[in-house]
Amino acid sequence: MVGQHGDLACCVRCVGPTAAGRLARRAVLSAAVHPRAADPQRAAPAARPSVPPGTGSPAASSRPLPAGPAPAAACPVLTGTVLDTSPHVVAFLDGDREQRVALSPDASIWRGRPADATFLEAGDSVVIRLLPGMRAVADRIWANAGRVTGLIVASDRDGLLVDEGRTASHQAVVIPPRAAGRLQVRFPRLEPGYLLDVIGLRHPGYLEAWVPATSQPAHRPAAAPAPGLARTRVAASIPGSASWHEPACAAEAAGVRYPALDPGTACLEHPLPGSPSPHLPYLSVGSLLRVRNECTGTTGGWPVSGCAATAPAFCDRCVTCGTSPRGRLASLPMASFVAMGGDLERGCFNATVSVGQPS
Amino acid sequence: MTADLLRTAAADLRDIQPPLIAAMLIGACITKLARVRRTGTQATGSGPAGLFPPRLRRRLTVALCAAELSLGTALVVTLLPAGTRTGMPLFAPRAATGARVAAAAFFVVAAAALLELRGRRPDLGCGCFGELSGRPAGVRPIARCAVLTVAALISLETPALYLPPRGRGALLFLGLLCAELALIAALSPEVSEGLIRLGYADPCELRIIPTGRTLAALHRSRAWRRHARAITSELPIDMWRELCWRYVVFPYREEDGAAENEGAGAGDEGGAAEVVFAVQMKRRRPAVRVAVVPLATGETAPTAEPVPHDRGAARGAIRLSTHV
Repeated sequence: MVGQHGDLACCVRCVGPTAAGRLARRAVLSAAVHPRAADPQRAAPAARPSVPPGTGSPAASSRPLPAGPAPAAACPVLTGTVLDTSPHVVAFLDGDREQRVALSPDASIWRGRPADATFLEAGDSVVIRLLPGMRAVADRIWANAGRVTGLIVASDRDGLLVDEGRTASHQAVVIPPRAAGRLQVRFPRLEPGYLLDVIGLRHPGYLEAWVPATSQPAHRPAAAPAPGLARTRVAASIPGSASWHEPACAAEAAGVRYPALDPGTACLEHPLPGSPSPHLPYLSVGSLLRVRNECTGTTGGWPVSGCAATAPAFCDRCVTCGTSPRGRLASLPMASFVAMGGDLERGCFNATVSVGQPS
Repeated sequence: MTADLLRTAAADLRDIQPPLIAAMLIGACITKLARVRRTGTQATGSGPAGLFPPRLRRRLTVALCAAELSLGTALVVTLLPAGTRTGMPLFAPRAATGARVAAAAFFVVAAAALLELRGRRPDLGCGCFGELSGRPAGVRPIARCAVLTVAALISLETPALYLPPRGRGALLFLGLLCAELALIAALSPEVSEGLIRLGYADPCELRIIPTGRTLAALHRSRAWRRHARAITSELPIDMWRELCWRYVVFPYREEDGAAENEGAGAGDEGGAAEVVFAVQMKRRRPAVRVAVVPLATGETAPTAEPVPHDRGAARGAIRLSTHV
């Protein structure tokens, strides 16, 4: 009997280049065995599918992606490290390349709170959303934005220690006195066993929390009410919300975290213990997920890169544009979230998630 | 005649109470333990345990289970006769009376606890039968406790266990048993939940099926038999799932004959390839689909961890899967 073991780390950030190549090949192989149902661009031209008699045609049971309104184009996004700033221009290092962007008159900058360009400092890590159609004009800039989402495992006068899942190290969070009041309105129980989701400024080794990303569930994750039985087939498109996270590595920046990875092919990542089942269709790392921002109409597709371990624990709703019908369906890397039209300080946007795979 | 019938009915009604109450108590204990086993915790603190601080809930639940199991066992054991002949007295009459009084007291306390729960936490289920008791505690569970209290009290003078009578007596006995079961079912919101679960079929996208079962189904399939000769490793080199399908990939050595059967393609001259099986996430007789995908030009067979195979043409395979 063979089963997948934890040795195959399912999340992209944990695997080596060989296994990453293996994961990338999954799309080709699944397209080969379900040629018409899969995305035509992903189909393997040299593949020769054969269907045993009596099992039906792949096309007969395929479930195409739902047709919706034409997607809006994703906003261009740049990331890098600030080299120099002036009131109208920001110079930053994008990889090895120095770039400059001008600030539009309406450009806004966030650095823990709304700020001027003069608040940016050399060495700040920035995510820049450009004005659509403009190559080097910034619409919004987020500097040193960071987020910690998980279960508080320790707390003292200096800060909190938060568990973000089995494959991530514990995150330290410091709450400045000026932000404590605002945070405690939404997170009244800053003690071990309760959930935390805060946005703030990333410093080496800790996050300085400034903004609550949601409201704290009144109960501990282990005491969440059990969800009812799923009585109908899972819909092809699931409306809910999408949040964001700080990618752990470059490979993960090109994927999306999803809360329902197949428990049969046991990977290292699991939802936080006690979290209720999200009642989402099970997928694996490498499965293609399409996310549509219901607030802007922007649509993007990414492979699943790992488990959104903390998402099922938050039974919250996103209210960026109306109230999302259910909770967190996906977690996007910071740059992808911004490119989809999301604002980092809001923490989420209303989203519809669909899986372009055969049923 | 009517007086005799009534007297017999009253005696039968009294005699069926201890085993019935014992079955209820042991069943309640088992369903609670099943929930703890499945979730790893008495997750929601449903039932009267929800009135206590979280750190005490698990202990209270375990104590409640222990009390139910002890009472149920005591009711059954103390029903035993002193001998094997019909009409023998109880083996331990005082213990039997004690067990029945204790059961009555238990149900009185349970009814009081449910009344308190209804007043203070109307959102919580009664927790009487684990996951089946998830609906907010209403009047029915409290009425059920009252009925069971009365049942325990009228059974104080019950004789030892005996075989039901035959003929008309058996009909009366069975009729009374069914009537009481119907009354308890009417007072149990868990019955409808249980019936729903009995007929429940989870959507295939959410169905959890172990990988071993998938592989067993694959090995039984016609698709596997057709390609087994060309598969060069016993272990799959990759396995993953998407929605209703689990994909299993094996290294494959295309042979001339196989290539002809499969039609045109890069493998006409034979060569390294991979065979991918898609196995439906279905518990019985899943559909299996298969495709052979040649390795692209320049792509070599993975060699991270060689896996010997039994047909000579040894070939490396990255071992993403391991034996369990």
